[in-house]
Parts: sequence; structure tokens; C-alpha cells
Amino acid sequence: MEDKEPRNPLGPFEFKECISLVKSTGKKAKTLRELRELVALVGEESIYYHTYQYYLRRQILEYNNDFAHWAGESLEERALSEYFSNVDPFSFKDMDDLRKALLKVIDDYLERFPEPREVMPGNEFYFNEAIILVFPAGLRALNLAEFFIAVKYIDAPSVYYHFYEARVRLRGGSDDFSKWVEDGLDRKDLAAKIRNIDPLMHTLDGVREHLAEMVEEEVKKDMEVMPK
Amino acid sequence: MIDEYSGIAPKGDLILLQKLGEKMKNRSFLHINSTRAGGGVAEILQRMIPILVELGIDAKWEVIKGDARFFDITKKIHNALQGNSETITEEMWDYHFEVNRRNAEVYQLDADAVLIHDPQPSPLIEFRKKGQWIWRCHIDVSNPVKEVWNYLIRYCEKYDAAIFSVEKFAQAMVIDQFIVPPSIDPISEKNRELREDEIDETVIKFHIPTDRPILLQVSRFDRFKDPIGVIKAYQIVKKYNDCILVLAGSPASDDPEGELVLSETKEVAGNDPDIYILLLPPFSDKDINALQRIATVILQKSLKEGFGLTVSEAMWKGKPVVGGAAGGIPLQIAHGVRGFLVHSIEGAAFRVRQLLNNPDLARQMGENAKAYVRTNFLITRQIRDYLSLWYCMENEGKNILEL
Repeated sequence: MEDKEPRNPLGPFEFKECISLVKSTGKKAKTLRELRELVALVGEESIYYHTYQYYLRRQILEYNNDFAHWAGESLEERALSEYFSNVDPFSFKDMDDLRKALLKVIDDYLERFPEPREVMPGNEFYFNEAIILVFPAGLRALNLAEFFIAVKYIDAPSVYYHFYEARVRLRGGSDDFSKWVEDGLDRKDLAAKIRNIDPLMHTLDGVREHLAEMVEEEVKKDMEVMPK
Repeated sequence: MIDEYSGIAPKGDLILLQKLGEKMKNRSFLHINSTRAGGGVAEILQRMIPILVELGIDAKWEVIKGDARFFDITKKIHNALQGNSETITEEMWDYHFEVNRRNAEVYQLDADAVLIHDPQPSPLIEFRKKGQWIWRCHIDVSNPVKEVWNYLIRYCEKYDAAIFSVEKFAQAMVIDQFIVPPSIDPISEKNRELREDEIDETVIKFHIPTDRPILLQVSRFDRFKDPIGVIKAYQIVKKYNDCILVLAGSPASDDPEGELVLSETKEVAGNDPDIYILLLPPFSDKDINALQRIATVILQKSLKEGFGLTVSEAMWKGKPVVGGAAGGIPLQIAHGVRGFLVHSIEGAAFRVRQLLNNPDLARQMGENAKAYVRTNFLITRQIRDYLSLWYCMENEGKNILEL
């Protein structure tokens, strides 16, 4: 394998992971109209928490952000939940555009459907924000084979940091994994495949499984020799 | 001690604990609460302090001292914050402050970080010397008696930050409010792995047959835990599936209604030989652990609940839990993924039947439940959050911090 993997200009892949410390804004909405007022008002950090950072907490694929989750589970407005779930946070160039898209979902819904009822006490939408702490995950991969092993053992928050958070950090739909594979290992096809894993359609473990499968296939190909 | 969590807690949490320990090395971290033993707060502090010390932090735990009058007042404050009608007179507030003032003379309140647990020692903030002061509220204050909360908040808003267990408990305050859920200790007597013979010991002690599925609820005999509703749900299930019901708990000694609820529960149970009502003395942690491990389905059919950590304890044993959709239970059980949330006796019966008839579903939910508790509700995560919070407060203004 040595000849197929010349010196990596990016160096080894240093796995990192992150945790979020949740901060309450003290603001809550019990109706869709109150939600609208607050979505328009809260800081970018709060919009970020309830959309991008939802993936760090998501366990099931039913919803794509906290707004969809609340609309489905607390407000019990299934159609509204579907509209919210269809908002792809990674498709906006900044937080303000994302905020506008969320407001548009609410405005369109209020225009087309009867006014939803107030939620039960305790089921209000609570606006939060988070402080993120990033730290080394204690794993390093020098080549693709090591990378494959590491991907199987990293904690889910590491997948979030390198695959989801990286999309915001790096912009342009890229992520740490595909960047290292492309720029460091010069494997453009594999990088493209990794980039094509849809972040909205998988849990963190789901992304990890797809990633591991793709990398394993590539490693196997590298190892194959024609018997003489 | 921290090594004991290796292979149990997520590796990332242990790495972050070490990193934060290095950052806060030799710095002082003082915790003050109102009791050395009994209750979840003391239970966690007993384990947390030695771990903090092992991480290199100069951690100390002090307990506020007061007389019967003081604790009678603080009990009333506690009840009022949970929404029960209570009147706290000006004189009572003065006494509450006075006892805190006397305590402040005894303790060195000059630590680099001070974490004050619950309302009893909250006036200590008036005697701060230096450091970051954080008020940790463990109780459900989502619907407090307004006058009592408005008085208490005079102290709370002098802190640098407040911590609540659940977002819905947080209040509109002028200081930063963080959300840190409570946790269970996976190596404590109540949660550690048990050997077969240890489990058998409990089974023999209580004469519980293990030839049929076992439904279990562990809780005090308290109306809000709905033990009678559990029996009624069992009676519905029993028409379809032969099973055993175990209700294990202690009579609520500080609740005058406790005895009444227990006798009503016994009455509803009648002479059904398959219902086991176990009155467990304090320190029955190993028996509770064993009962959870032999159970097929665990119920926590609460009508009103604080955080409901018994749910996480059950989930940690890899069991599917049928829980009432109250308090913090929905934060632990994702409906249909890690157990079921129910709103009625009929709902509880229906979900128990589903689990009894689909062992693969029950096993999968149990596995999901254990994995979720591992990443979210272990003590290592709670300590990690406290240290992270302290570190963030010292790096105020940054939304992303790299260690």
C-alpha cells in the first residue's frame, strides 16, 4: 500500500469531537404565532442550535430540525412538520436566509391552514443556544486503512464535528472527511462519494456506516492483486 | 477511580474530563448542598467529588448546617417552588438568610468556582469573596408559587449563572441559564453489572417466580407514580398474557398520604398471587438492580414527575420502559424507539402487550435505551458538563472553544 499512498500533504487525519453545552434563552412559544415572533427575534446562535445542531442530538429520522419536531410532536400539525423538515440548513449561504426560510414556512402555513391550537403547558417550544467545546478524540489515521478502522471506533459526536459542523466551517458542501481524502490522499472519486452522503437523511451512526462501507471498498480494491 | 468508567462511559467524555482537569489543575471548586446523605444530589456528589480530585482539581463538598426550623422553612420553599400552595412569611425568609449568614462565617467561600445546590444555601451568594458562582437548581420550578420565586430570585440573579435540569424548568432571568440533566452512576450498587448468584439471591429472597414474564415498577407509593394504574394495566394484560407484576418501593415516610396509597394499592391487588408488592427498606439498591435485571418490561407510569431518573436506571439495564408522558420522562424515552410513552392505563396495557408479544422489538428497544443512557445520562457526562461550564464562564463570549 505504501506506493499507492505517497506522503499526505495534509498530514494524518486527527479525529476530533465536540460536545454542546446547552444555554436557555428563557424564551418560549406556546402557539405558532408566538413561534414566528421569536424565530424573527432570537439570535443567530439559537437558529443554529435548533437547525444545524439538531443533528448532534437526532436519534430518529422522523424530523430534520427542532421546529419540525415541535410541530409534529407538540403542536400535532403534521403538514407543518413536513414543511419544516424540508428546510435544508446546508443550502443557505447565511443564517439570515435560513431564518427567512423558516419564517416563510410559518407564514405560508398560517395563510393556508386554520390557526393551530395552543400546545399543552410544558410542551412549549423552548429557544436554546449552545456553546461548543471541541477536543481531540484520541485517534489519528495515517492512511486509508487506518482511517477505516478509526471510523468504526469514533464516537458519534466525532462524525457530527467532521461531517456536519465542517459543512458550515468549510462552506461549499464539503466536509473534513472528503477534504482529507481528496486533498491529502488524492482520491477524488472516493471524496465525491463521501460528499454525496446526504446529511439530512441519516443519523450520525448512519453516516458512519456509509462512510465505513465506502472506505472499506476502496481499501479492499487497494489490496487486490492478480495471482501470478 | 475514573479508570473504572473506562469501557463503560463514552471515550470522548473521559478524554474531555482529562483535558478539562488539566486546564483547571489545582484550582478550587466548592460544592454546597443541604444534606450529606439521602436524595439524588448527595448520591451524585459522593461520587463526583473524588473524581474531580483525581482529575487534579481541588474539589470540596460542604453541607449547610441548620436547625429543624430552618429545614422546615426550606421544605416549604421547596414545595412552593414545585407549585404547592405555601406561604413564606418575611420572618421565615429572614431566618433562612440568618442561618446562611452563620454558615458563611464557617466556610471559606473563596474558591475559584462555587456551585450552590438548590434553594437552601442560595443566600450564601451574599457572602461571596471571589470566583465564579453558579446556582444549580435540581427541582422542577416550571410552575412555582410566584411570590416565593420572586423572593428567591433576588439571590439567584446575583449568581454568575444558573443551571436547570430540563429546559422547561428554566425561568426568565437576567443571568445565563444552562441546561444540565441529572445522571446515574453506572458503577454504583444500583446500576453495576450483577453476577447470576447476586440476582438469584434477590429472586429467592422475595420468592419471585421467573417462569413467566415479569412486569416491574420501582417507585414510592405515591399517587403521582400511579401504582393503582399499573395494577389495572397489568389486569388488562393478564387477560392475554400470563405474567407477574412486581411493585417495589418504599412507603413515602415524609408523605402523610403514603400509607393510604399503599393500602389502596394492596386493596386493588386483592389476592392475586401473581402481584408482588415489595416494601423495600433504605439501602436496597442491589435488590432494585436485580429486580430490574430480571424484569421483562419496566413501567414508570407517572402522572407527574420531576426528571424521573428511575427511567434511565431501568434503561441502563437494557430494558424497554413504558413510561407516562410526564416531566422528564419524554426526554429519556423516544416513543417507539427506546420504549413507549403512554397517557392512560389502556395505553400502558397495550404497549406492555406489544412488548411481551414481540421479544425482538423489546430487545431492540432495550438496546437503544441502554445506548442512549450511555451517551446522555451517566455521571461522567454530568461532571464533564459542570467543568465545561466553568471553563466556558472563564472564556466568556466564545461560542466555540477548542481544547
